[in-house]
This record gives sequence, structure tokens and C-alpha cells, in this order.
Amino acid sequence: MSNPKSDVLQGTLALLALKTLARGPMHGYGITLHIQRVSSDVLRVEEGSLYPALHRMEQLGWITAEWRASENRRRARYYRLTAAGRKQLAEEEKNWARLTQAVAAVLECA
Amino acid sequence: MSLLSRLKGLLQIQRLEQDLDDELLSHLEMRTEDNLAAGMSPEEARCDAQRRFGNSTLLKEQTRAVDIVGWIETTDQNLRYAGRTLRRSPGFALVAILTLALGIGANVAIFTVVEAVLLRPLGFPHPEQLVRVYDDIRSSNTRDVGMSVPELWDLRDRSGVFQDISVIFPADANITGGERPERVEFLGTNANYFTMLGVRAQLGRTYTPADALPGFSEPVVISDAYWHRGFGADPHVIGKKIRVDGDLYTITGVLPPDFHHPGRTLTADVDLWATTGFAGPPFPAPPVRAVRLLPGVMGRLKPELGLARAQAQLDNFVAQRTRQFPDEYPAAAGWSLRLVPVQQDLVGNVRTELLVLFAAVAFVLLIACANLANLLLARSASRQREIAIRLALGAGRPRLITQLLTESIFLATISGAAALIIVVWLKRSLVHLAPANLPRLSEVSFSPGVLLFAFLISILTGVIFGLAPALQAARTNRSGALREGTRGAGVSKHQLKFSRILVASEIALSLVLLIGAGLLVRSFQHVLEVQPGFEPHHLVTAKIWLAVPNNSKDDPNFTPEKRAAFHREILRRVSALPGVEQAAIGNGTSLPMDFNRFQSPFAIESRPLDLERTPVAEIASVSAAYFSVLKTPLLQGRFFTDSDDTKGQPVALIDETLAHRYWPSSDFDAIGQRLQLGVARRGQSSAAQNPWVTVVGVVGNIRSDGFDAATAPHVYFPVFQTPPYSAVVFLRTTGEPGVLGEALHTEIQQVDSAIPVFSVRAMDVVVSTFLAERRFALELLGIFAGVAVLLASIGVYGVMAYTFSRRTNEIGIRMAMGARRTHILRMALAEGTATIALGVGTGLLGALALTRFLESMLFSIKATDPLTFGSIAALLAAVTLLACLLPAHRATHVDPLMALRHE
Repeated sequence: MSNPKSDVLQGTLALLALKTLARGPMHGYGITLHIQRVSSDVLRVEEGSLYPALHRMEQLGWITAEWRASENRRRARYYRLTAAGRKQLAEEEKNWARLTQAVAAVLECA
Repeated sequence: MSLLSRLKGLLQIQRLEQDLDDELLSHLEMRTEDNLAAGMSPEEARCDAQRRFGNSTLLKEQTRAVDIVGWIETTDQNLRYAGRTLRRSPGFALVAILTLALGIGANVAIFTVVEAVLLRPLGFPHPEQLVRVYDDIRSSNTRDVGMSVPELWDLRDRSGVFQDISVIFPADANITGGERPERVEFLGTNANYFTMLGVRAQLGRTYTPADALPGFSEPVVISDAYWHRGFGADPHVIGKKIRVDGDLYTITGVLPPDFHHPGRTLTADVDLWATTGFAGPPFPAPPVRAVRLLPGVMGRLKPELGLARAQAQLDNFVAQRTRQFPDEYPAAAGWSLRLVPVQQDLVGNVRTELLVLFAAVAFVLLIACANLANLLLARSASRQREIAIRLALGAGRPRLITQLLTESIFLATISGAAALIIVVWLKRSLVHLAPANLPRLSEVSFSPGVLLFAFLISILTGVIFGLAPALQAARTNRSGALREGTRGAGVSKHQLKFSRILVASEIALSLVLLIGAGLLVRSFQHVLEVQPGFEPHHLVTAKIWLAVPNNSKDDPNFTPEKRAAFHREILRRVSALPGVEQAAIGNGTSLPMDFNRFQSPFAIESRPLDLERTPVAEIASVSAAYFSVLKTPLLQGRFFTDSDDTKGQPVALIDETLAHRYWPSSDFDAIGQRLQLGVARRGQSSAAQNPWVTVVGVVGNIRSDGFDAATAPHVYFPVFQTPPYSAVVFLRTTGEPGVLGEALHTEIQQVDSAIPVFSVRAMDVVVSTFLAERRFALELLGIFAGVAVLLASIGVYGVMAYTFSRRTNEIGIRMAMGARRTHILRMALAEGTATIALGVGTGLLGALALTRFLESMLFSIKATDPLTFGSIAALLAAVTLLACLLPAHRATHVDPLMALRHE
């Protein structure tokens, strides 16, 4: 099911996840929910793509994880931004801004 | 963090998998709960949650793969980068690979021998249970005096130590019936020998319990080599009759080609095995406890007994038997039994040598690594810019270190592979280099252990020489290196100090090796200087063997008179051969350096019998001309004459050692004194004792045990008074002994066509073969030491050259300001001296600590001999100082203007 919207989402998943975590530590399910809610259900993160991405970001040192008790006293793995992650987020946000500007410029021109 | 976490990840795979499972499960459950809260039914809720995961196994795999893919990616990148870097500097790569290949190759070669000879257990089931049993007499410090048959039975039945035990009796055997009589290497054993070792025949069978008779049984077993050599590998050899020493036996089995008797033999690998209970003819029956006629015993310990416990139990057994048989085992004599594991017995005396060589070659490799490390340090200095850029672009330092380390490991692995190929290719020639009497030499091969060793040592080498430079390089100050105007070849003080320490350690290591080699050289010189007591040049010896048939009635040479006549005839004929100046004949123990000895205690007339220190001497029988053929001097009295035969008065000759020991002052003359062999037992009639013999002369010492053994006293008897079955013919030749062998064969065969003549040898060849083993270790160690010094000197030169090339600027200024050449040289000297002094000092300390391991290889020189230590240290210091001065000298020849312009 190649929803064009979800294709775009793949490329920017890291950016979205990092931004979500900038608000505070969160577990994987919570990240999915947040993105879904804030984008008014337009962006749905598939679990199949979320966890590999989270794992990769953990390897790269952008986020760290620890087991904690969740809201309803269930055990969940919480992710947190690191300093490097914050830098990366700033970087990606800048890139995203430039990209959208460029695309908008091309679209306006035509 | 990434490398570490990756490593941790690999190690904790299980825990992380569990973690992932838990995480996904909790995600699933949270969504299910939300679904339920949103109004779905429980199954719907669950289904929906599950569906969103899709294939959870695939998901888990993908998540996990992120780990491994990352790791493989990085390693692949590192390897490619390493390959490119090496290709860019082929000169360096070639030098490095060559040096390392030699170093690693030498290590692998020596390890192959060490593995086959020392490490690999013998190819028998439970080889650790196999032991040799030795009888010692502590009071006279004599070891391996032989065992009696009743004692063997006691050990088998009453000691509770062995599950199996057998005699091993090496001998010469005479095979007749072919076109000429052949002498083969023979081993007499009990019938359980092969079952004790756990060996089965490849053709036919070995012995059965039915073959355990008091005398010799009919079945004999032959080796694979003899099967090929004597019978052309005929498959119908089983059942063939063969005449051994005049008696008829039947071949019942052929042993597998890789079986070797795990013990010493007379000359070569065993060809023929026969079994006997040693309690029937030709052995005295019934067996007497006091007659120690069994030269070797091997046993298999009970599985529950370790060596220590078995030895302790055996000691108790000895104490008990001593009490029970006071006549045969006088308490004062101190009879004891000693267990030695068979493997140790077989290879024990080469163990030290092999390990010393192994250590030496490891040292050489370390020195090579140090040189390479220095080289890499210098190179990394020129790669500063490249490294600084990478750091600026965001590469993590650990990543950089891993990268650099991969380069060196890559280099080392290529060298290791090259080394392995060379060693495998040269295997045959390497095996030829080794002394031929190295035990288990035939088992040397490339086992998986060797391959693993080659692999590990390559990796280790790469790490050793690559780690320090990698750490140093990654310490680069980013901004400093990127600044304009840097030649990029700057090197920190830190790096230089490290280089110096490396060089100092190289010097130390080569000093240890040199001192070791030096000690061995001097020891060898001492051995060469030892007078053998006889003149080995132009001396030919040959062994002959009168057959001893089992039934004495079949023996044509049974009476001493018959044998004496036979020997006289031989002597007469060979003396007449062209090229022979003089001939003599003696018994088996009269051949020096043959390690066939017979020791006996003896008594001196009119001296009280001192049981605490019974005199013991080596016994031989010789003809009248023996000493003049060997050119051993007569010191007192007379030689034997032809009238000293069975009809004459019993006489004997003693050597200088014995004379000085028991008649030390010059008033006491040994001539005319009387000796008696054997120790008289209480109640023994004088007829049963050996006759008293009169000493008629004193001769010079003959070193029959080799040059480095202590001189044992000898007593000589006239061969015609006690004619032996096995004899040795001694010939002093006028020219080169070359063609004498054939002539000898023909002459002796004319006396009796059934007598084999074997082991025809020129004595100087025997002496040099004996020295060959020592010489081999010495040569190898010398080569290694030489290579070590060369490498160390190169190291010193390299570092000093580097230092000076950096300071060309400074030197130019100094010289322009008027400094003379000698000042600069003195400066160089001052700098180099510190490093060299450190190296030599550490080396001396190391040598003091380590040369004690050489002690068993040294002869008449201490392991801490100050002369050797001092002279070699001085030599090395001089060589390295020279290597130090050369670059300085070159630096001073640079035109000062050029130097100043040099940035």
C-alpha cells in the first residue's frame, strides 16, 4: 500500500520523531499517537517503519532509551533526545525549511 | 559510542532481543487498550493492533539488522580505505609485508615443530596414562639401572598402580635367509604391549593372551616401513616365516604407518617386535630378583590415579619391598622407582631448546613490530592533514582509531597469509634443516592448531604495531594541523618520546637474544675444546652381532673359547685389509658415544665395603690394540697383551678418573690392586661371585658419554677373557675411510656368512653428528640474534634520521652561527646515548632474568657469565651508537644555506 503521503513520511520520519521527543521523553506508541493526532490523522506512522528508525537513531546516538513505568503503570521503553540529537534536530529542521522553500519556489514559477 | 554499543550489542544479543520483544508487546497492548476504550470488541481490538504491526517477525529482523548492517558497512568501508591507502604507498607496503612475513613465517615454522613435538599428545588413547618406569640407585647417584623380572611381576600384580605394564627391550636382530644377512631394529616386549598402547595392526593381528609364554613366542609383528622395505608391501606377508637370530618365527601382523614406538631405540625406528615373558631361554630361568636384566619398562596407570598419587603409592611399595628383600635391595643403596610420562621421556631433552627458539623468534617479531610502529608513527605524522580534515568533518575519534587499526591488521593479515604460503611451500626443506634425531620429527605437519596460530598471531601483530600509532594519530590537534604553512610533517614531542621508547625496547630485546646466542656460542666452544680422549679422525667402527638363538644347544658360539676364536679370526683378517693401519675389537659398550653403557658396582680389595657410597664404574671389554687404535695414552703399567686370554690370570685396566678417585696420592699405586665386579651378597659362595681381577695399567679418560657429560670411571677387561656376542670392530685407517665398508663386509662374511655387519661409521662423523644438535640450536639462535640486531640498528638509524631531518633548520642555524661539525655530532651522541643506555640497561636486566632458562643447554659456563654479558652489551652499544651517528653526520654535511631555507 504505497500511499504517496506515507512515502514522504518515510524520509522525514527521523525529523518527526526527533521533534516529538523534543517535547519530552516518550515511548514508541506514544510517538505514533502524537504524530497522528497533531497532523490530524494525515500522517500515520507504521510500526514496521518506526522501530527500525528508532533503533537506528539510538545507534547513531541521537536518542537514548530506558525502561520506565508508563501512565497506566505498564512497563514501556521511553526514548529521550541527547545533546547530539538536539543538534541533529536543528540541522534537519533547517534542511526541511530549505527544501520546502525550494519546492515552493519551483511550483510558483511554473 | 557507536563502536562500543555495537560491540555490546553483539555480545548481548539475547538480552536485546528480549528487550525488543517486550517493547513491541507493550506497544501492542497499549494500542489494544486504546482500541477497547474506543469501543471495539476485544478480538477486533487485538486484531487491529496486530495488523498495524504487520509481520512482526520481519519487523524484529529488520530492527536487528540495523545493528549488523551497520557493523558490516563500517568494516567494509574500513577495509576499502585501508586497501586504497596501502596502494598509494606501495614501497611502504612492500617493506612492511616483507618484514612481517619473515617474522610471522619464522614464528609459524617454529610453532609447527613445537606443536607436533611438545604440544600434541601422543596418538594413543589416554596418552597421559602412559609412563616409563625407571629404577634408580640413590646412594651412588646412578639412574636407570634396569629392572629384574620378579620386580616387574610385583609391579604388575601387587603395586596397585598399573592397569597394564610391559617390558621394552630394544636390541639388534639378525635376519638371515635373504641374499645377505640383515640387521634390523628389534623390540622385545610382553604380550600386552600393543593392547596397552591401544594399537591395532593394519594387516593381520598383534599378540593375543595365548602368546604370553615364559620364553619367546612364535608370532612377530613388523612395522609398515619394514614391510615396504623388506617385503615389498606384499599382502601375503602374513604367515611368512622369518629367521631371527637363528630361530624361526612367523609374521602375524603389520602395524599402521603412523605408529612409532614411543621410546628410544638403538639406532632407528623399530622394524620388528617379538614377545616373551623374559622368564625362559635365552633369559635365565627361573628369574632372579637381583639380576637387573630388563633395560626398560613402560606402563599404563590406572585411570583413577594421577602421576603424583601413583608415584607416592609406588614409593610406599618400594619401602615395603626393601623391607621384605633386604639382600636384593640393601637399604643403604637407596633403590627407588621413578615414573616419567612417556611424552616427557620422549621429548624431554629437546623441550628447552625448542621453547628457547620459540621465545627467540617471538622476540624478533616484536622487534619487527616496534620498527613498523615507528614507521607508522612517522607516516601518521605526514597524514596529519588528512586526519585533521576528517576530524573537522565530524568523524568520531574512536571511528578514526578503528580505521587506522584496520589498516595495520589488514597489512598484518596479508603478511600472515604470505608467511603461511611460504612456510607450507618450504616445509620439506625446513624439516631437513632440523637435526635428524629430533623426536617425533615425522609427526610434524600443519594441523588446524598451526593455522589458528598463524591467524591469531597475524591479528595480534597488527594490533601490537598499529595500536600506539593509531592512538597517537587520533590525538591530533585539529586546528594546528590545518593551519596554513604546515608541511604536515610535524611531530609532537610526545610522539618522539614514544618512538625513543620503542627503539629502547628494541635494543633491549636484541640484547637479550644476543647474550643468549653468545652464551651458547661460548658453551659450544667449550664443548669443542673438550678432549674426547680418543682420536676420531681416520677411525672407522663397525658393529657385528653374533646371533643368540633361544636354545643354547643351537648356538655354535656358546662357549667363550669359540667366541674368542671367532673374534681373533675377525681381527686377523681385518688388520690385513688395505688401508687399515691397525685394528682392534671390543664389546658393545666399548664404542664411545654410542650410549650403550653397562654400569656395575665393584669392590676394591682391602677396602672396607662402604654401602653408602658403592663405587660404580662403566665396564667394557677390549682387545690389546684398542687403546693404540683409539690413540688413548697409557699412563701407568701396561696395555693388554695377547696372552691375556681365558687361560691367563684375570686382569683389568682402569682409567685416570678411577685411579685418581680411589688412589689419589702418588704413594698409593693402583697397579697390582684387585677389583671385583658386583656387590657380594651375604652368604653368597665365592664361586658364585665374580673373580677378583688385578689392575695392570692406567689409561687416559675416554669420554664415552659425549663431551658434556661428567666423566664416569671406566674399567676395561680383555675381550678374549670375556668374549661378547655383540662386538665392535675398530679400524685406524691410513687414508679416507670411504670404501672400507664393502671390504669389511666381505672379510667378515668369509669367516661366517650369517654375521651381519652394520653401522659402519667414521668416528669423526659420529662426533660431528653428536655436536650437530647443539650446533643447530646455536645456529638458529645466532641467526635470530643477528636479524634482531639488524632490525634494532635500522630502528635506531630510522628514528635518529627522522629527528635530524626535522631539525635541519636548527642545525643550519647552528652551523651558520659557527658551531663545528663535532659539536653537532656530540649533540647527536648525547641524544642517542640516553635511548641506547636505557635499551642496554633494560636488556641487561632482562637477560639476567631470562638466561636461567638456558642453563640446561649450557656447558661449563654460567648463565650470568659476566664476560659474555659485558662484551656483548659493549658491542651492541657500539653498533647502535654508530647507527645513531650516521644520520647526524649526514645532517652536518648539509649546506647551511639550504638548511636555513628549509622550512
